[in-house]
Amino acid sequence: MPPIIRIENLTKKFGKFTAVDHLNLEVEEGEILGLLGPNGAGKTTTILMLATVIKPTEGTAYVGGYDIRKNPDKVRELLGIAFQEPKMLWVSTPWDIVNWHAKICGLSTQERKRRVREVLEALDMWEYRHRNVHALSGGMRKRVEIAKVVIQRPKIAIVDEPTAQIDVVGKHKIWRMLRELREEGTTIILATNELYEADMLSDRVGIMHRGKLLVCDTPQRLKDSIIGGDVVEIQFEAELSPKIVEKLGQFKEVVKITKIKGSTLRLYLNRVEEVVPKIMSVLMIEGAVISSIRMSEPSLDDVFAHYTGLTLEEAEKGGG
Amino acid sequence: MVIMRAIWFVSQIAFFGLIASRMVVMEDYFRFYVSGLSVMTLYSAAIFIGFDIYEEAEHGVFEYLLSLPVSRRQLVLGRSIGGGLRAFIYVGPLMCIALYVVGITNPLNFLVALFALFLFAFGVSGLSITLAVVIKSSDRFDILMGVLDALIVRLSTAMYPLSFVKEANPFYGWIANFNPVTYASELFRWGVGIESALSFRNPLLPLLGIVLFFSFFIFLGIMLYERTIEGGGWR
Repeated sequence: MPPIIRIENLTKKFGKFTAVDHLNLEVEEGEILGLLGPNGAGKTTTILMLATVIKPTEGTAYVGGYDIRKNPDKVRELLGIAFQEPKMLWVSTPWDIVNWHAKICGLSTQERKRRVREVLEALDMWEYRHRNVHALSGGMRKRVEIAKVVIQRPKIAIVDEPTAQIDVVGKHKIWRMLRELREEGTTIILATNELYEADMLSDRVGIMHRGKLLVCDTPQRLKDSIIGGDVVEIQFEAELSPKIVEKLGQFKEVVKITKIKGSTLRLYLNRVEEVVPKIMSVLMIEGAVISSIRMSEPSLDDVFAHYTGLTLEEAEKGGG
Repeated sequence: MVIMRAIWFVSQIAFFGLIASRMVVMEDYFRFYVSGLSVMTLYSAAIFIGFDIYEEAEHGVFEYLLSLPVSRRQLVLGRSIGGGLRAFIYVGPLMCIALYVVGITNPLNFLVALFALFLFAFGVSGLSITLAVVIKSSDRFDILMGVLDALIVRLSTAMYPLSFVKEANPFYGWIANFNPVTYASELFRWGVGIESALSFRNPLLPLLGIVLFFSFFIFLGIMLYERTIEGGGWR
């Protein structure tokens, strides 16, 4: 099946500043693609180009087979977008905003009535439906923004930092709704700078920095791509003999072993889930008594740092 | 804003209109002035949509509107019609006062004139949107609107007949001949039956002028909206 979105050399320049730099990417139908990067990485500009809100300086993208330059009207029919900053229009209440959006998207009066209620209830906004949006908190306004995409049920949904300013319970609710949307057949592009969110939701994650796509793969493969990224710390009852340490070092997945505090070993390795059983059997055969074991996988933050040389915080501050 | 405009409108009729009608040697000048004033007020209310464009750009609503599953043509047409209708809602009560003052002799003519005034208001909204997307600065737009208001209203037959304008300066008269405010004022007067002061004997001419004005600015608005806004020019 051809990809539902194909981005070819997509570039956007604002004067001398290049916001998106020759981006190439494909999005498969029905997947959730996370676009991860610090503020200013080019995620929002990419989204705005895909949504035909701004024109690319160079390159193009095909959305559902339609060229964003040549058939913007057709592209917009396939897309629904929840913006980073909630767009509150000139109408004044959550109900008005969601209802107006549903109307524009062609929902019948009867269906609109039912779904506006359904969606606002699901987002815990029904109680506040007649409150002036300007009196709502940032998180509540964000929920209204998300409600637009959920009610629209587009073929392709673009959500830009969907859970920014939203509490933990609300976040999980929105994540569940996005997953449900995907189960109904919607392809989702999730732009976020929240690593956990990208990890939790995305089938694949693309890391953007300074307008460029550095890498794009499944979260697991991205983590595995860090050589020695998995860390296993084993504490023994007694100090381990050098012969056992040497044996552990012979596994090809083990990158480095360091000894800390005499009876504790730290192993830097790849594919922890595969190699740990093998290590355990060696230790059992050798009669080493383990008092504790701790394992940690690399996070997407480590992946980001690996590819950019910066932490997300440093990148956001404009470092590097 | 509506209240302020209403106070201004009533004062113009009650003071300026009454006093000026005693000074101007012309039959039925008071009714002539009141009908012209209604068109001037409609013009200034319809032009207001341009300021909304800046506000929308500032608050990012533009991005939202541009991402909706509607064509740019529908969007500009919708905004122009919306701006025109809003102007009518604002000016509606004032128009009623004006109609009470001038009276209607032929309801059918008035309906035709009303239709033309709707087109005029939509066209002015289209003009305002066009200028707003081209200028990109709300301060400059504000100044230009002031200048345009001075020129377009003064060089029309809203306040004085075409013969007076031509007498003052033939060039002014030439401009007034091609001014949408002139066409709207003429049609309003024809609609309410102030026949004695009409500059165009055939109402089809100003009607055609209004249709052309509306079509031109809607077309231009769509074209510029696509080129300027979609290109990310408002950012």
